[in-house]
Amino acid sequence: MLSWLFAAPSIPNDVGGKYVAGAYIVFLLLMLIYVAIMGMKLARIESGLREVAEIAEKRQGDAAVAATTRPEAPAEVKS
Amino acid sequence: MYGKGLRTLSIATVVAFAVTLSLVFFYAPIEADQGFLQKIFYLHVPLAIISLCGFIVGGIFAVLHLRRDDPRYDAYSYVSIHISVIFAVGALITGSIWAKGSWGHWWVWNEPTLVSFLIVFLLYATYYPFRYAIEDRQRQARYASVFAITAGAFVPLNFLAVRASASLVHPRVFATAEGGLPASMMLTFLCSIASMALLWTTLVKFELSAKSAQGQLKRLRRALDAPNTQATSRIAPEVS
Repeated sequence: MLSWLFAAPSIPNDVGGKYVAGAYIVFLLLMLIYVAIMGMKLARIESGLREVAEIAEKRQGDAAVAATTRPEAPAEVKS
Repeated sequence: MYGKGLRTLSIATVVAFAVTLSLVFFYAPIEADQGFLQKIFYLHVPLAIISLCGFIVGGIFAVLHLRRDDPRYDAYSYVSIHISVIFAVGALITGSIWAKGSWGHWWVWNEPTLVSFLIVFLLYATYYPFRYAIEDRQRQARYASVFAITAGAFVPLNFLAVRASASLVHPRVFATAEGGLPASMMLTFLCSIASMALLWTTLVKFELSAKSAQGQLKRLRRALDAPNTQATSRIAPEVS
């Protein structure tokens, strides 16, 4: 593998090499921009999920407190 | 749901790109006429081909959406077009760089291949404002599907018209009387097409899973809001 790599022609530093490098870098940048935008979108989804989970947990806690503090029903009076 | 198999697909894409780039820079011969500059061909042409195919795929999903009235197909159509537009941007920029290196100009307005691709790109660039100008979700999906079908049908027609026209400077590599590419270049090119198609599929799946997650989150929010609404309606005075 290494010998194959060393035998390969190096990127020529002429006009052609400059444009080829430019084109491949543009493609890489485009993909990076896309991934960055998707990353931001996923971060928004994550924070939304966290918020929803907090609301759900708070409601669960409130329901538990309400259940423990609810006054017991009066005992049936036998006649 | 859409994330299933995404990991395998991503690994396959990375491996395919590694192999393709190795073939491009270490295996494919230097072209006699353009020299090293021709290496842009293995990036620019697959980007253009896959973006055009993606537009057609978007049209096919739009047909399925209209036939089956399933919102999933609308999402597939939207995401296919979205990723294809990104690929088209890549094809336009890399093509422009290649044109500058090869012809000395960033853009040649009297070249049918370039201008027709720009027209297709601009056509699909109007898809977003067209889609989001409609507020009603069902109407939005229906109209977007009609647009995707019409524009998708325009893509092969446009391609054939350009092939039939006389080219001024843009090369015609495939199906030419001269015989096209030599075997080593053809193999490299086919690998580039395959890896670009894999990348397209991975990004479509990635985008779909993100959209699905967003949709699930909205559903959760609605479900959490629902008990509050019921409570409000319970305390509201009843009108008999």
